[in-house]
Amino acid sequence: MNAPARTGAVPLWRSTSLLIRLRLRRLVNLFVAGSQGKKKPGDKTRTGNPGKKSSKVVLFLVWPLMLFSFGAITANSVMNLHGALDPPGSFWITVEFSPALTIGIAFLLFILWMASLLITIGSGELAKSEWDLEWLITLPVRSDTLLWARIAERSIVNPSGAMALIPACAAIAWYSQYRWAVPIIAVLAAWPLLLLASLVRTLIDTGLRLRMRAAQLRNLHAVISVLSIVTMYLAISIGLKGKSDFMLGIAASMPDWLLYTPMGLTVRAINERSFVDATVLVLSLLAEVAVLLWLGVMALRYQLRNGVVAGGARDAERKAVSNAETEADRPSLLKLSAVHRRELALLRRDRNFLVQSLVLPLLIVGGQLLLGTSGVASSMWTNPNVLASVAFGLAAYSLSMSAFQTLNSEGHALWLLYTFPRSIEEVLKDKAKLWGVLTLFYPLVLFAIGAFVAPSVGWTFFAAMLTALLGIPIYAFIAVALGVFGSNPLEQQPNQKVKPAYVYLYMSLSALYIYAIVTPQPVQRLIFMVLSMLLAAALWQKARDQLGYLLDPDASPPPRVSTSDGLIAVMLFFVAQAVAAVVIIGRGRATGAAVLFAFSIGGAITYALMRYVYAKAKTEGVPRILGDNSQALLGIVAGALAGAVGVFYMYGLEALDLLETAMEASKSYVSLGLWTLPLALIAAPLFEEFIFRGLIFGGLRRSFGVWPAALASAALFAIVHPPFSIIPVFILGVCAALVYERSRSLLAPMLVHATYNGIVIGAQTFLL
Amino acid sequence: MIEFQQLSRTYGDFTAVHPLSLEIRNGEVFGFLGPNGAGKTTTIRMMMGILVPSGGRALINGLDCHSERALVQRHVGYLPDNPIYYDFLRGREILQFVAEMHGMGRREAAGQARRMLAEFGLEEVVDEFAVNYSMGMKKKLGLACALIHDPQVLILDEPINGLDPRAAREVQDRLRQAAASGKTIFMSTHLLDMAEKVCTRVGIIHRGELTATGTLDELRARVNSNVSLEDVFLRLTEEGVTPEGASTP
Repeated sequence: MNAPARTGAVPLWRSTSLLIRLRLRRLVNLFVAGSQGKKKPGDKTRTGNPGKKSSKVVLFLVWPLMLFSFGAITANSVMNLHGALDPPGSFWITVEFSPALTIGIAFLLFILWMASLLITIGSGELAKSEWDLEWLITLPVRSDTLLWARIAERSIVNPSGAMALIPACAAIAWYSQYRWAVPIIAVLAAWPLLLLASLVRTLIDTGLRLRMRAAQLRNLHAVISVLSIVTMYLAISIGLKGKSDFMLGIAASMPDWLLYTPMGLTVRAINERSFVDATVLVLSLLAEVAVLLWLGVMALRYQLRNGVVAGGARDAERKAVSNAETEADRPSLLKLSAVHRRELALLRRDRNFLVQSLVLPLLIVGGQLLLGTSGVASSMWTNPNVLASVAFGLAAYSLSMSAFQTLNSEGHALWLLYTFPRSIEEVLKDKAKLWGVLTLFYPLVLFAIGAFVAPSVGWTFFAAMLTALLGIPIYAFIAVALGVFGSNPLEQQPNQKVKPAYVYLYMSLSALYIYAIVTPQPVQRLIFMVLSMLLAAALWQKARDQLGYLLDPDASPPPRVSTSDGLIAVMLFFVAQAVAAVVIIGRGRATGAAVLFAFSIGGAITYALMRYVYAKAKTEGVPRILGDNSQALLGIVAGALAGAVGVFYMYGLEALDLLETAMEASKSYVSLGLWTLPLALIAAPLFEEFIFRGLIFGGLRRSFGVWPAALASAALFAIVHPPFSIIPVFILGVCAALVYERSRSLLAPMLVHATYNGIVIGAQTFLL
Repeated sequence: MIEFQQLSRTYGDFTAVHPLSLEIRNGEVFGFLGPNGAGKTTTIRMMMGILVPSGGRALINGLDCHSERALVQRHVGYLPDNPIYYDFLRGREILQFVAEMHGMGRREAAGQARRMLAEFGLEEVVDEFAVNYSMGMKKKLGLACALIHDPQVLILDEPINGLDPRAAREVQDRLRQAAASGKTIFMSTHLLDMAEKVCTRVGIIHRGELTATGTLDELRARVNSNVSLEDVFLRLTEEGVTPEGASTP
């Protein structure tokens, strides 16, 4: 069938609708495919997230919610504008807006329009080296048609624009006393503004592409993405209580002619109730938009008069040569490795990288603090714990954008690392060190200001500061190690370069460290820091196994239980228990039952979470409670032996008159009454054996012999217990590990633990 | 010396490289010939430790290419099929980085980089960002990266694919020079004319299996005629040809 229609150029309507369909398809792919993960034939589904339908559902649930909440914010903005611009006492909930308020609302629309425009331009298209117009122009569509179709398409497929403008128009319509018609009015009123946004966006990206080189474009893109966030914060601030003064001041000084701009006409057209006047306003709005569009397309045609690609882009590059030649010979003060120098050169030149890793975290954390209602922004200057948490949080966030991304920043050039006679681990270590130092910058500045502003700088200030500052290099290593698992350096789509599960894991681990900063007990602080360091080492070891498979993920062995899992579980257990205790006990006295419940809830949460993650990742070597060879008797005998040692140790302390002081120092362990029994005989063996024997000893056992693994896991087990019981608990840990080695299931070590606890508690109660 | 011992690679059910055994002696220029998708790049990536063998192993100078990668790389230079470089880095900087990663000092690396760039006629573009290079320049830069530490073994994936005749000739001359100085070269190509000019021995891989190896004369003898390598190639990669009598160097 060769229809005659196929010989001519594709008409406007058809090309527009095709373009729109293509764009929508791409958007849906972008959101949905993120969780689907491409499958190679025969792949045994070891990609973290096998295809999910739920993300589509989430997409359709989240959108209306977001529209609604944006609507609520703009509605608040209108109220705030009314409060600021109308004379006090004037009751406005009539129909007509005062001219001052109309100007104010037009200003609000303008800021929202600007924010959405900047977000769209900053969303990445500029940073890409390929340009779709280069491809579209090869299709049989007339250039004019193509330009119009493009503007129309971009006015419809513009999520951030729709997000910003439709709810705002809805709020205006609502305050103009419309009810059921609000959605229709909102969409119709937003469209002319969206058309203008699309026009300006097209003019900007076409113009820039023809004038600038790829590297400049990427840098400009970085600047725009920063601007877009600032504008967005400013737009949102109008709707917030107590944060809106700055923007309301500007709104009050806006000139009258704003009433005649498309924004002003939109507000007036929605607000006007007389049919004739409204029609006049709508028509003048449409005329204005049409004229602007026509002028815009003329300008576009002028821009494209020499074709859609700027020629000689490479020749232009040559002019930009700097004094680079001398750089290599310049002696440096610091002893930096080649990797450090390359990373710093990239940071200097690639604004995008700089903005992503160092500027955006500051903006986002700062924006949250300034606009949020938590009061952190004011209390951080008086409370050193809050200051240290903010400082650490900021550094941890920048690490997630930098150290976590080390492999992704290598990207497709990763092959180069494989050609060097150095292990990739060394390169990554270099990078972890660099980022561990670079990200100290903001915290140091914060602490310097804090020390200056604080009423008094005492021990708590220094302790909090030290904990936060020491945590940052540790977390730099954790971030790089997790980044090895969490990145897809060869992925083309930027949103698929990172596996979200690992980002969440990193973020949650960082949040756990906040506990070390705020806990009032120095011992817990120390234990937590040691745990974090061990975790960094363990994760690093796990990552090392993975490094050979970076460019060949399909060949990598399936995940196995590792020491790092155990350490994560210990930290999680700590924090979950502490949080549960706070919730249960509140301000009351700690009772035995409360302690038991807090412990059990913390343990159960940890256990359930670990099992869930293992099941999802199809991890091998997850410890079993019951095995073929349960060795129950051996467990009881070993527990009795360890218990005997424990009792003997207590007698020793008693003989040296040390027991009283030791018991005094750790009151919580003896004041539980009868609740001690279920805690010591059931809950503690159940959860602690899973973590310390199952995960930590089991994980260590993969790389070490029986004895080193048993001793190391027992040492870790001992330091999380009260100081006076470290020695017997260490022996208990060794016994339980040896029994686990024989039985290969957790029942026997659990019996060791329970028997030991039973004997020691019995001795405490009846013999002493 | 390069040695494959039953080297194989599968992707799920698909076998990209069937167990492959081969030995390449020092000083040989070995051409790895085969049609598109025959498994050439997969094999080379296994030699570089980029892909992990599903079975068997590849050895260079007696060291395993996967488990002892870093040691192997000290003596190996590699040019990928399509070299991709870091954004925002100039050709000179990339070369210097590579040299430093191979253990040279900063000054020495800078000097060496300058020498290589001059040798490869890249002086004009040293201060451009490498991502903006044309394909030919990228390949030349890649070859400079591969040669900067004066390796004993060169592994080249399609070294002149996509180059204009002049650039292709230059690269071939460089390779002949390298071979004359005693380097072992392993290169994949589907450009037979190039193999005929440069290689001392060739292997033909087809659907992941080595169908023949030998000097050009030996291969001609196998198909019983005094024809061009192209005919030999076409005959040996015909559908349905079984690799009987393969790998008899």
